[in-house]
Amino acid sequence: MVKKTMLALGIFTLLFPVMAFAEDPSAATLDMGLNSLWVMLAFILVLLMQGGFILLETGSTRMKNAGHVAGKTIFTTGLAALIYWAFGYGMAFGGDSSVNAVFGWGDFFFNPTIAAGDGESLPSTVFFLFQLAFAAVSLSIAWGGFAERAKLSSYIVFTLFFVALIYPTVAHWIWGGGWLAEDGAQDFAGSTVVHLTGALAAFAATVLLKPRIGKFNKDGSANEILGHNQVFTALSVLLLWVGWFGFNAGSTVAIGDGFFGYVAFNTMLGAGAGGVAALLISWAISGKADITAMLNGTLAGLVAITASCAFVDPWAAVVIGLVAGVLVVFSVKFFEKIKVDDPIYALSVHGAAGIWGTLANGIFATQVLADKVGVGTGGLIDTGSWKQLWVQFESVVVVGAFVLAASFLVLGVMKLIMGFRVTEEQEIIGLDLSEHGAYGYPEQMKKAGQNIQG
Amino acid sequence: MSDPVRLQLLKQIGSADHVEGLRSLRDQVHEQMEALLPTRPVEQFNEQLNEVHDAVIQRSIILAEAEMARLGKGSPPVPYAYLLFGSGGRKEQTLSSDQDSGVVYQDPVADPEEVGLYFKQLCELIVAFLQVTGYPPCEGNVLSSNPEWCLPLSEWGSKLDHWFEEPAWEAVRYLLIIADGRCVYGEQRLLDELKDLFFIDMLNHQIILQRMLDNTMRHKVLLGIFGQLLKEQYGEDAGSLDIKYGAYIPMVNSIRLLSIQMGIRETSTLERIKMLVKAGKMSATDAAVYDQAFRIFLRLRLMTTEQSADGLYANNGKLSSRKLTKEMTDELKSGLRLGKKLQRAVFKQTMGRLT
Repeated sequence: MVKKTMLALGIFTLLFPVMAFAEDPSAATLDMGLNSLWVMLAFILVLLMQGGFILLETGSTRMKNAGHVAGKTIFTTGLAALIYWAFGYGMAFGGDSSVNAVFGWGDFFFNPTIAAGDGESLPSTVFFLFQLAFAAVSLSIAWGGFAERAKLSSYIVFTLFFVALIYPTVAHWIWGGGWLAEDGAQDFAGSTVVHLTGALAAFAATVLLKPRIGKFNKDGSANEILGHNQVFTALSVLLLWVGWFGFNAGSTVAIGDGFFGYVAFNTMLGAGAGGVAALLISWAISGKADITAMLNGTLAGLVAITASCAFVDPWAAVVIGLVAGVLVVFSVKFFEKIKVDDPIYALSVHGAAGIWGTLANGIFATQVLADKVGVGTGGLIDTGSWKQLWVQFESVVVVGAFVLAASFLVLGVMKLIMGFRVTEEQEIIGLDLSEHGAYGYPEQMKKAGQNIQG
Repeated sequence: MSDPVRLQLLKQIGSADHVEGLRSLRDQVHEQMEALLPTRPVEQFNEQLNEVHDAVIQRSIILAEAEMARLGKGSPPVPYAYLLFGSGGRKEQTLSSDQDSGVVYQDPVADPEEVGLYFKQLCELIVAFLQVTGYPPCEGNVLSSNPEWCLPLSEWGSKLDHWFEEPAWEAVRYLLIIADGRCVYGEQRLLDELKDLFFIDMLNHQIILQRMLDNTMRHKVLLGIFGQLLKEQYGEDAGSLDIKYGAYIPMVNSIRLLSIQMGIRETSTLERIKMLVKAGKMSATDAAVYDQAFRIFLRLRLMTTEQSADGLYANNGKLSSRKLTKEMTDELKSGLRLGKKLQRAVFKQTMGRLT
């Protein structure tokens, strides 16, 4: 084997002497190449998180909707790619972004250069893909509010508005040089931009759709609609967890001095702390160590550390994760109490933990790390100043108000014009059959009308 | 219910000549007793209620015997004892308890098959009659109409031996059921002999205690680590307390296990506690507080949600926390703390015995 390789190399050297003796690439080129590889890898990891969402959403819902729930994630990810290419990217990062503080403008139907230009740290193609994957994650979070009862057509229309307008606007404000970025809002990988935005869209959807049939009793008590496969749900958390290293560590968008390792390190601590805290707290308050709560806690730890992973010390990452794990358990109870049906727990996992993670920066960020990242200042504990906490608070409130208003507007108009929810019969039969004509689990499901399992 | 009225009703039950009549008498008793619960000491209420249950069951058995005779099947060929298990056996039936029953009859000298057939038909009638009077049959099929629970004494003996020798999960459960057995009608001595066999086997198979411990400690007391009450989270009963399995049953199980170890034959929990003191297994002060806690559980259990399903008196053992006053909640909590303490004590004692 080695001999053959050497021989082949020798022959090639004879054939293409120019390549063998070409000039060494410059340090800048090498640096650009490494960055591109890293961000490309991160993009792949974040895209693979869609696999996590497929399993999370399918596992947490019932068998009769499995094919629909899983399939629509793939479909809307594809649709999101087209829309982000045509409009979304332009709205978030297009043109000379700094010209406009409210939204970007330019680079619609994005036509990238084929390679990185001089002085660019990575090709714009790689950056585009990475940003697209984030938009798609935020979109999949929003689907949590649609689960098990929204029409397929509503998914298509909402993808259009969410990926072209709602998400890019928030991304521009915080990451694209918009006005919150100028105020120094810290959101390293998107606790607010990706998670809170997705969760609030989910909230608007689930409120407008109203709870699933059978979720609440007449006297206001809630029923537990168990997901059909807890193994899927657990596996989904692992997939998301792995993908999150692309999400957070990849958000350094550079190899640089290896700072991405530190970001990954904090991410791991936050996730672990979230799961541990949620399991223990559910055990303590209900007497049962709840698996669903533990899985939600792990995700909540990841969501919360997303904003702060580059800004805080490791001990703070643990604290942020622990608080997120406890918070998510109580948040689930809260939404049940106010009779909001949250099938995938998106509101608690991505919403409540997203808010906490964003605010946590204002408390735990250190001046050293803020300087290193170059965004904002240290938080309350390190600097004793409330300034950063206020900025974080402002970004949560402003983004929250915008996303809620925009989502309610878009979905409300959709509901008026085209209808949002399937009929009662379709919901009971299951969306697999009503929207697609075939069950995801044909053998397990009886024929329509024959004593369909709830 | 004033005593004259109660005695009058008991008398009427004792002379009812058809099951429908029994049913309407039971309905009358229930109506009156429900109103009485808050006004009397719980053990008195419990005693009177169980007296009524016993009377209804005894009368149903007599009517079933008469029906057998009317059908030309004669009278019982050998003496027998009609046994109650579960809450009936412990004299702790609520207004809505189900049937857990069995029969032990004397070994026949001749025609064992014919005798067996008689009792099978008799028990089927009894169970059917009791259903008419509103007692749902046991879901686990521990019923006299089940041939496994209607046997001559010698077969009961070999059944017990078998259960003791192969203490699989189910066998252990059955042995614990037998421990609560009480003769409600017929020959008490047959049950005494059955219990003799049970306690002799107990002595020879001490290891069974370990299995009984595993089985009975399964039900956790309704108290979280912060001392809070653990309520139902979902469904129609959200916010309710599972009084039956979270308070009453753990205490019953603990006291039963201690009693079995001491060879105590009383079946009611309060009597068992008294006997434990006599046997020197429990201090009088401990007994007083456990007694007190158990009475609270009994009262709350009598307050649990009644459901009427297909004409049967049923109950899921759950109590809406809205029905609890602040004072009752505090009582319940301290009772549950005692229940936990008792569980730990039983665990320690039983394991100590084994090692």
